[in-house]
Amino acid sequence: MLPFSIELKPGLPITEQVIFAVKRAVVAGRLKPGTPFPSVRTLSQELRINPNTAHKIVGTLVAEGVLLTTPAVGSVVAEPSGDDRQAKAALLGDELERVVVEAKQLGLGLEEVQAELAAHWKRLGRK
Amino acid sequence: MTFPMNIIETDRLTRRFRATEAVHALTLAVPTGSVFALLGPNGAGKTTTLKMLANLLLPTAGSARVLGVDSRKLGERELAQLGYVSEDQRLPDWMTVTQLLGYCRPFYPTWDADLEAKLLVRFELPADRKLSQLSRGMRMKAALLSSLAYRPKLLVLDEPFSGLDPVVRDDLTAGLLEAAQLGETTVLVSSHDIEEVERLADHVALLDGGRLRFSETTEALLGRFRRIEVDYEGTVDSSSLPESWLGWSSGGGRAVFVETAFQSEHTERACRERFPLARVRAHPMTLREIFITLARAGRHSTEEIAR
Repeated sequence: MLPFSIELKPGLPITEQVIFAVKRAVVAGRLKPGTPFPSVRTLSQELRINPNTAHKIVGTLVAEGVLLTTPAVGSVVAEPSGDDRQAKAALLGDELERVVVEAKQLGLGLEEVQAELAAHWKRLGRK
Repeated sequence: MTFPMNIIETDRLTRRFRATEAVHALTLAVPTGSVFALLGPNGAGKTTTLKMLANLLLPTAGSARVLGVDSRKLGERELAQLGYVSEDQRLPDWMTVTQLLGYCRPFYPTWDADLEAKLLVRFELPADRKLSQLSRGMRMKAALLSSLAYRPKLLVLDEPFSGLDPVVRDDLTAGLLEAAQLGETTVLVSSHDIEEVERLADHVALLDGGRLRFSETTEALLGRFRRIEVDYEGTVDSSSLPESWLGWSSGGGRAVFVETAFQSEHTERACRERFPLARVRAHPMTLREIFITLARAGRHSTEEIAR
């Protein structure tokens, strides 16, 4: 079993989807630093994806410092570098961009969007 | 022996059956180590192509290099590195699964007994049952096992998943991934249903009416297609649309089309030039949607829309 949860959706590159899922698991603390990360082979077999794609995923995660490779063990989850909260906030990037684009096209200002966001926050917070 | 770039290269490969041209001047390269999906509707020429590559059928014109040699000269040495499994595979029906594997084993110096044992378990194959008494799915598993066990450098699969239930398809995929070695095994798989091979393939080619429509990496294909929605004001002149826009339809202040050469800034600029004040939205498309779009566009025009 893989140490992070993912449900692959058609239409988006598999590489991006898996990398996002891994980063989310790391910042949410579900993948702790030092945890062994599945090998390319395991990743490919568990997700039923092309080994070349799995290879690229691991390579990108290593290059971005999310994983560390150790000769004996393979790759492990790295100690998060820099600001943890900043990393968490960065995961919202795409979603926020979409909201901003929509808002601009509708001709809404920043204050109006913030007010709307605050209202949603409050509404969901009460439950 | 290694094949630095492409394990298969065809040059205007053509096959005619009497008056019918099943495959027309196909020029295609399959990169070594890729999982390459050859897609297209039934009757597109996929099987004919694969048979020519495995030297089961001679080309009428053109040529193919497979595993470094002309496909017409594939010899013992190359065939020991080539696996070929087809939907309607002919198997020696009187043999049991064990007998089939025992029969195949001596032909291949690279036969891997451990892998054979692993796959037997994974596929849950009844070793002592005769092939004639196996279900369609089980027969496919037996055929695939007998080709995977010698770890061929090139595995050609003709519609391996066709007509099989999802569990069997998943078993076959898992077995394939277990046997495949990164960068070592090239898999060329044909299918009329993109969803069967969507996760596996890193390269896709579309064959339609015997002609190649495109051949590129899955990533590049997903990257360059977007369904675009434009909300505009006033009227729009649809007489000079870019060639990369397909399936244009508009009405009531809204236009929808498919951009086949999507680049965020470039596409947005092209839209704004035509409709100022437009609200442009770009949606990623699934491979299935991309193929349907291309098939429709192909019906409307005979022009090549491949790059």
